[in-house]
Amino acid sequence: MPLYLPIAELSMNIFLVIGMGAVVGFLSGMFGVGGGFLMTPLLIFAGVPPAVAVATESNEITAASVSGALAHWRRQGVDVKMGAVLIVGGAVGSFFGAQVFTYLRSLGQVDLMISLAYVVFLGSVGGLMFWESARAIIRQRRGYVPPPIPREDRHKAWIHALPFKMRFRKSRLYISALLPLSIGMLVGVLAAIMGVGGGFVMVPAMIYILGMPTNVVVGTSLFQIIFVTSLTTIFHSVNTQTVDIFLAVLLLFGAVIGAQVGARMGLKLKAEQLRALLALMVLAVCVKMGLGLAIEPDELYSVADVADLGGH
Amino acid sequence: MLGRLLVVFSLLLGATGAAGAIVTDLSNNRIEIRYSFDGAELILFGSTGSTKVDIRAEDYDVVIVVRGPETPTVVRRKGRVAGIWVNRDNLRFPAAPGYYAVAATRPLEEIASPIAFASYGIGFANLPLVADSGSGLMAPDPDFREALFRLRSSEGLYRQELDTVRIVRQGLFRTDVHLPANVPVGEFIVETFIFQGGSVKARDRITLSVDKEGFERAVYDYAHNHPFFYGITAVIVALSAGWLAGVLGKK
Repeated sequence: MPLYLPIAELSMNIFLVIGMGAVVGFLSGMFGVGGGFLMTPLLIFAGVPPAVAVATESNEITAASVSGALAHWRRQGVDVKMGAVLIVGGAVGSFFGAQVFTYLRSLGQVDLMISLAYVVFLGSVGGLMFWESARAIIRQRRGYVPPPIPREDRHKAWIHALPFKMRFRKSRLYISALLPLSIGMLVGVLAAIMGVGGGFVMVPAMIYILGMPTNVVVGTSLFQIIFVTSLTTIFHSVNTQTVDIFLAVLLLFGAVIGAQVGARMGLKLKAEQLRALLALMVLAVCVKMGLGLAIEPDELYSVADVADLGGH
Repeated sequence: MLGRLLVVFSLLLGATGAAGAIVTDLSNNRIEIRYSFDGAELILFGSTGSTKVDIRAEDYDVVIVVRGPETPTVVRRKGRVAGIWVNRDNLRFPAAPGYYAVAATRPLEEIASPIAFASYGIGFANLPLVADSGSGLMAPDPDFREALFRLRSSEGLYRQELDTVRIVRQGLFRTDVHLPANVPVGEFIVETFIFQGGSVKARDRITLSVDKEGFERAVYDYAHNHPFFYGITAVIVALSAGWLAGVLGKK
């Protein structure tokens, strides 16, 4: 059944769209990730213009994060103060990310930027995750238990030396506000240029750099994703008019169903196994994007309507 | 349907009667893009009427050109930079038709000489395309011009030597016009040329409009005229859909 999408200006099969949402929802439910890093490339491969894919996916991630964030909120799993600082950084990052996005789009280089960002960030995060989970699996087989790191040693010396210290009661932290601000900013930029929530950068950064306790990490990450992707949606709407609400709602519909099934599947697997699988999936997307850049394309030329480029 | 029959009937009358010049009409001259839009198929009817063409004395040929709205278009070429393939060169066409189709009764080269087609601007090769070099207008690089034709052809937007005009009976002809789902919106011009003995004996020009309608039009206008409020709406829709999904998912 074809459905004409008025913003994307193309006709797509409604079941294909819902199906893509369901597949990505299944994987994100299984691994407990947002899935933006899977959905945006999938939309691009399906023929949606990259700019529309990125902007629309921001809108879908807002919706997909709400129910998760609410669940964590009820369990007291959100550090609102930390979230607020991250959001301030994220707002600035998202604003500049959207400006860069608009500028590169008018130059015809936005596809390149999206691909490069995916290769660099998914490559490094996927690589680290794979190494970490493979090590955990090997250690478990050998029965090795790593010595716990004392709480006082979580931060490196340079982190303690930073000014503008703030107290985050829920995270039991007294650290410089510059740290969460800059992490928020980086994630905001990624949200705007990659069409992701940025959880794959935010969660490791919260654990390894900020040293937040794990019970507030996911809730706080989802909490800030709602706000940052909302802002990103508005920035892209204003700059390039590339947010397709219909596409977002259809994807969400599929994703909600898929996530329910995926979450049940995820319970059957061990945490290390899940992380190793997720890492492989992240690396697969990275390789796919990388090959697109490295292999000579069949068609060297492309055509675009200047009016569709925003003209800024 | 009755209206369509009347059109055909009046055209038939025109073919035998002593009415004016050549007459053409489309089965639908206003295409509305709605949610289920997946392209459109139109029928164009035409009658030679009582023109200079003596349909009884000699065979005649019909060439029909459908031209969509002209918009600024950019064609880019990838090149290898530091080991990766990136868009390196580009050429801007200030006015390239978003849709262009040529249908004829026979292959064009059998109908008339290339010079005849060139003088009427029939056929993609004869479109007066110019490129914007930044400092002024110039003749476009043939590689880019060819790429424009190739890419738009593969999208079904440029059609040449694909559709035939069928002569139904002596003075009456018809052809199908195929508009793909990604057809640009705007005013289209449908020009019909009657060739006989290698030169144009009569021509007619009608218009066709393609536009987003109803809800599709409203959403598009809202997104482009009030982008900030559209963004806010998108966020509100996402927040409530997400909340609803959470409530339903718990059950």
